[in-house]
Amino acid sequence: MEILVCMKQVPDDSIEIKLGADGQPDLSKAEPQGNAFDTYAQELAVRYIEANGGTVSILSLGPAENETCLKSALAVGAEKAYRVDDAGFEDADAFVTANLLAAAIKKIEADNGAPFDLVLCGRESTDYIGGEVAEYLAEKAARPFVTNVVEIVQENDGAIQAKKELDSGYNWVDAPLPAVMTISKPDYDPRYPKIKDKMAARKKEVPVLAAVDLALEDGDKVALVKYLGYQEPPKREAGVKIQEEEPADAVAKMFEILAADKVL
Amino acid sequence: MKALVYIEKKDGSPIGTSLEVLTAANALGADITAVSAAVPADCIDEDIVTSAVVAEARDGGYDIVLFAATTLGKIVAPRVAARLLAGSVNDAISIAADGDGFCVIRPVYGGTAQEKIGIAGKAVISVRSGSYEAAESVPEIKEITAPDADEIGIKILEAIAEAGEAVNLEDANIIVAGGRGMGSEEDFALCKELADILGGVVGATRPAIENGWINRTHQVGQSGKIVAPSVYIACGVSGATQHVSGMSGSKYIIAINKDEEAPIFDVADIGIVGDVKKILPLMIEEFKKKQG
Repeated sequence: MEILVCMKQVPDDSIEIKLGADGQPDLSKAEPQGNAFDTYAQELAVRYIEANGGTVSILSLGPAENETCLKSALAVGAEKAYRVDDAGFEDADAFVTANLLAAAIKKIEADNGAPFDLVLCGRESTDYIGGEVAEYLAEKAARPFVTNVVEIVQENDGAIQAKKELDSGYNWVDAPLPAVMTISKPDYDPRYPKIKDKMAARKKEVPVLAAVDLALEDGDKVALVKYLGYQEPPKREAGVKIQEEEPADAVAKMFEILAADKVL
Repeated sequence: MKALVYIEKKDGSPIGTSLEVLTAANALGADITAVSAAVPADCIDEDIVTSAVVAEARDGGYDIVLFAATTLGKIVAPRVAARLLAGSVNDAISIAADGDGFCVIRPVYGGTAQEKIGIAGKAVISVRSGSYEAAESVPEIKEITAPDADEIGIKILEAIAEAGEAVNLEDANIIVAGGRGMGSEEDFALCKELADILGGVVGATRPAIENGWINRTHQVGQSGKIVAPSVYIACGVSGATQHVSGMSGSKYIIAINKDEEAPIFDVADIGIVGDVKKILPLMIEEFKKKQG
């Protein structure tokens, strides 16, 4: 099976991002990396092809710096990685981003002479947390769409069974291929690269498609929403801190405050 | 202005966040049409709701379509927007009319910053739980259907329920949440005991779930539920951004943690520095006594 994973490069999600003096998010302390949910998608795809055969390719939209996440992906089981250079589309919203990805996928599929059976995206990015690109992409590509998948099992008769995570429980669904899926967190974590695979990945070439050269209709190039800037969230006032030697004293003090505040 | 509000239901009644969405629509001064779709058992709710809402929105000439930012709403909003060629925003915490369009604010980077977004024309927006008060009255809810339900290619083969009772964190008035500091499954049970006494619901942080102390349906935070109860009691919770962004809308926060530098204390109305395993049993005793 031919699987394509869309990967966004994001700042390290374990670092707290605050607005800088210029009113923009200060990303200086956060190393760029592949979005966590996209790396889960890749691991799920690699496990599938290891068991059933096929290849995993990665696609990322962005400037040359985005090759950081693509090289990492190539070191953990992806065979090919493509970058769509977004020059000329810096104001892309989720709609335009998805249209560019859809056009790039079409072009790669035409070049390969075969469609990808599965296009996978993480359920959301850890930076903007919009959770919209895969939805727009599935609509644009007009392919069956399954969200929050945590497991896929061997295809059968042009369809694949997927385990879809719900708020409470799971559904096993049958999706005709080719399909688009979003991936949630499976029970396992993505693998770490071996040194030799890291070295090999560094040498691999990443084909670049220029966004401006992709076949997009005019309407598909115009963002539907405009990003107007950032603001600090309102600060919550810290209240009373109770520091007593004896737990019983601390609890007594808490009940005094609760009574005064008429809470509970 | 005309607003189409999708009302999500649980056990036949509107969920709390949908009532908050009605308030968001009222605040825009919109004429509201409230709709809900019944989903056939073997179909995926997202497919049916997308199709039904699009059919209604195409006929109705709405300026804005609103959803609760639930798992369902956040998937359906961009899909509806794609079909209507409208601008979409997920997780809005405020929506204001701006000329013929809208100005929307939403959290980014796990809530440490907020982003302002402009939409020039029609909008499809999901509203984050806890951003508006719940509406006191619910308009008549019109049942809508998906015109192409038969053609949707994805069918549910098997439904697997999660072990344990249904959890409704979003509509809970009191939440007692446990984090890594609870230390073990046995001590985590203290959170449940306190929640039961207070008539509340148990919440949990991601580490508590990853440790297997409680199942994922209890998770509060960016990758779990966004909650805003009257009282939130955080037990052994350090206050990672991931978690705080899901509970900082709570009206009153009590935090217990042994690390006096824990970031949870920055948002707490009462912060108790101490051993949660010693303090919780005392709190449970006191609340029991108070209730006689």
